Amino acid sequence: MIDHILSILIFFPLVAGVLGFMVNKDSFRAYGIAVAGIEFLLSLWLWYAFDNSNGGFQFVEMAALVPAFGISYQLGIDGISLFIIIMSTLVTFIGIASLTETRNVKNMIITLLVLEMTMVGVFAAMDAILFYVFWELSLVPMLYLIGAWGGPKRVYASIKFFLYTFTGSLVMLVGMIFMAYLYQQATGQWSFSFTEWYRVVLPMNYQLWLFAAFFLGFAIKVPMFPFHTWLPYAHGQAPTIGSVILAAVLLKMGTYGFVRLSLPLFPDASVFFIPLVVVLALIMIVYTAMVAYAQEDIKQVVAYSSVSHMGVIILGTFALNIEGVSGSVFLMIGHGIVSGALFLLVGVIYDRRHTKMMNEFGGLASVMPRYATIFGIMMMASVGLPLTINFVGEFLSLLGIYKVSMMYALVGGLAIIVGAIYMLAAYKKVFFGNVTKRENENLPDVNRTELYALIPLTIIAIWLGVYPKPVLDPIDRSVRENVLNIMYQKVNTEMGTPEARALISDPYAIKETITAAAPEAKKHAAVAHHTPEAR
Amino acid sequence: MLEAVNISFASLNIQTLYPMLIAISGALFILCIDLIKSGLNKSMYVMIALLFLALDLGAVLDFIGVFETTGAVRGFFDVMLMDGLAILAQIIMIVASMLFILLALTKQRFNEYRYPEYFALFLFMIAGLQFMVASDNLILVFVGLETSSLALYPMIAMHNRRNSFEAAAKYFTMGALAAGFFAFGAMILYALTGSVEIGVMAASLAATGIDTSSMIFIIIATVFLLAAFAFKLGLVPFHTWTPDVYQGSTAALAGFMSIVPKLAAFVVAIRLFEFLMSTGVLWIEIMLYAIVVLTMTMSNIWALVQKDVKRMLGYSSISHAGFVMAAVLIGTTHANTALFLYWALFAFANLGAFAMLWMTHEKVHDRVSDDAFEKFSGMIKTSPFAAVMMALFMLSLAGIPPFALFWGKLYLISSAVTGGYIVLALIMALNSAVAAYYYVKIIVYMFMKEPVGTNDYTVNSSTVLKTVIGTAALFAIASVLAVSPLMEFVARMVYNSGY
Repeated sequence: MIDHILSILIFFPLVAGVLGFMVNKDSFRAYGIAVAGIEFLLSLWLWYAFDNSNGGFQFVEMAALVPAFGISYQLGIDGISLFIIIMSTLVTFIGIASLTETRNVKNMIITLLVLEMTMVGVFAAMDAILFYVFWELSLVPMLYLIGAWGGPKRVYASIKFFLYTFTGSLVMLVGMIFMAYLYQQATGQWSFSFTEWYRVVLPMNYQLWLFAAFFLGFAIKVPMFPFHTWLPYAHGQAPTIGSVILAAVLLKMGTYGFVRLSLPLFPDASVFFIPLVVVLALIMIVYTAMVAYAQEDIKQVVAYSSVSHMGVIILGTFALNIEGVSGSVFLMIGHGIVSGALFLLVGVIYDRRHTKMMNEFGGLASVMPRYATIFGIMMMASVGLPLTINFVGEFLSLLGIYKVSMMYALVGGLAIIVGAIYMLAAYKKVFFGNVTKRENENLPDVNRTELYALIPLTIIAIWLGVYPKPVLDPIDRSVRENVLNIMYQKVNTEMGTPEARALISDPYAIKETITAAAPEAKKHAAVAHHTPEAR
Repeated sequence: MLEAVNISFASLNIQTLYPMLIAISGALFILCIDLIKSGLNKSMYVMIALLFLALDLGAVLDFIGVFETTGAVRGFFDVMLMDGLAILAQIIMIVASMLFILLALTKQRFNEYRYPEYFALFLFMIAGLQFMVASDNLILVFVGLETSSLALYPMIAMHNRRNSFEAAAKYFTMGALAAGFFAFGAMILYALTGSVEIGVMAASLAATGIDTSSMIFIIIATVFLLAAFAFKLGLVPFHTWTPDVYQGSTAALAGFMSIVPKLAAFVVAIRLFEFLMSTGVLWIEIMLYAIVVLTMTMSNIWALVQKDVKRMLGYSSISHAGFVMAAVLIGTTHANTALFLYWALFAFANLGAFAMLWMTHEKVHDRVSDDAFEKFSGMIKTSPFAAVMMALFMLSLAGIPPFALFWGKLYLISSAVTGGYIVLALIMALNSAVAAYYYVKIIVYMFMKEPVGTNDYTVNSSTVLKTVIGTAALFAIASVLAVSPLMEFVARMVYNSGY
């Protein structure tokens, strides 16, 4: 069974969802929670069975689908995808457990289970077409979730979401086909397998075009400035569970795509595009932070802050060094936990008052103390307070980008301070001061179900902030092996550009220079590999 | 004194005619039954037609073995050509026809199915289409084209609505014009080369070489032939009849028209444009390129604003035809394989979509729009299973993986990439994105709006209809498993035919 655990993990929710049609409506919540719980336990077992000392792909499954065209059913995970998968199953589980929706719960839970299949599928796929299949398929349940259970402008929001992402990914599909074609030109055989693609060293001009094609698909999903306009609508109209999954997991597909595909496949183009991507990311961080500050709607504040933090992830990814990339992967997990929890918290207050406007609240800290506490912790985690989960990721990402350029790090760091301002301001408006509205005087505090959903997230947010090692170590190992080492090998062939060679250092060399005792060896390593310090 | 012409019967290779003869004799058989005893139920005729189509299919399948051992078979004074393209096209056409003829078995009674002639015409039409694909002789192609078209016009008109008469008359006039164009184009090529057979024309042109005057003639001939095909395939700017005709016909017949006759025209187009492009006249490629891009883009934009689902599907099928015409433009083996793969997958997805429309068809006289989008509002609440099926076909048509048409799109776009048409590939991809909007629009109506009135979505359903829809749905979902063997088979057939 352990050989096929990834297939089981992917298709268990689908099978359960289809069987779910036969389950009685009244018992459906329990069924959904049970299925999502089993799925989460399965993903924990995956972690248990995962070999932490191995940075390569594990649990690899391989079956040819269309052999003549090189499409195969290839699955595998490494430290990068493992924790994103666990985070996805956890967030889905908690999301279903804390569901307060009453209309058509059965349809909703089945949709969520199908969505869970596509999410796990994207992160476990190691074949580009398989990746694309799950990537696109995830749009359909999300379209339904927003469109059927959303707010007044739900149809507009859901179609906007669908078309934006669909367009971007079709361009990416052309890029994928072209990549496979280049592979075919080089080897005589078609292949869409990531591991096969990693072997291809591309000339610079192809890299630039392909990077651009993939970038469009990923950037719309992240969503990066200026492609971010679909997200506020989607978040504004989506039901709580939709926002939770969207922010926590679906956006990560984009950043994951950068780490998994763009970086190792097009290292020289990645280096070439650093200024553009980083500037876009900085605009995204600063601009959305400012927009967030101007929002009246607390859900929009959380939504924009979530976009803003996605910018930090991009920043770390395009630092192209071990701190930056590992930090950004870790931040993906942290962001998933924290933004998921924040949207759940907004949902809690929305269920009670059916409004999300901040001026409708005030002084909630005295009415709902437990709610205020949890919200406070999560907000602190969101702004990256030390000893919370996001601090680790943000610190590492900024450290990474600092090694590339101090200016980038400075602007990025300032933006985090702005983030603290708007979050604290929003918190103050909602929780402190006097209770101004009579409706708010007797609001019930978080109930037991909500507490069960929120406490685990809070614990994780603090635990991984204090002791990130069990998660960070496997990520670190896989980033070295599956991202940076491939990039390093490629830029040091004759096709690599000098800029890329100067920037990307041997991921294994740094460690050696630290452990080596003899000063000669250290000097030697620094000269040989053009580490940024040497410059 | 004329010399006696001696032809041995064996040299005629008469078995190349068997498939068509089976269809024709089936049609005559149906007419004979009607002579002997009239007033029989439509189900009898449907089954008779189905049986003859099955025999027809068997005769075609027989040729696969022959083709794989001895290559393309010629017959009947060398006008018949049973190569891989002919066999593939006939298989797809006959299988699609077998499924579409079953749509006649509805719950409600319709005028046209009362006449046995309808089913006789249907079989005549199939025979005509089979002649079209199984020949590289432009005269026989013309005969086949006219046989099939002349059978199709009355079939549309027999629906006995004002819209249907209009549709039939429109289709007839446009079809006649297209036939004229075709004949004129073929005439110029004959004047230039002294032959009506594509293979001989190519050889003759290659022998004489192309100078300026013959180049002008070739361009003129191409313009006429292209216009003729554009009429038949409904390519922009010769498409204007398509939505009207679809709207006027029953959903069952409209679905049929969007698939089967078009495939026959595509096969002739592959044969003809392979030859015309090989003459090396640049303008031909440019014209074809322009038509392909225009067709894909414009029809998509028009489809966005339609208020009637059948008209929308009409425009969408124009856009799909444009997609597939791109394969003719690219012209590599990869592209021609993609054409057949795409069309086979498209046939099932479109069959499902039109069958769903057909199932909701109410018997109301002279209403402007039978299938307004509003009709589907809130379908998930009233008949959830039908809504899921319809959504499945729409997603499939939109090319959302892993449903049927995605694989066709993937392969077609990849053929554009390998053929060096990267810009075309991007245009195709972006057009797919535009197309997604109007397919999703139906899903929005079905899943996100409240039901209006008391619509019975299954007013026309019968066990047979449900079976057909189920088959199409099964194929749409399970296509991921079928793609690999299908692709290999198609590629082998196409490659061995030399295209």
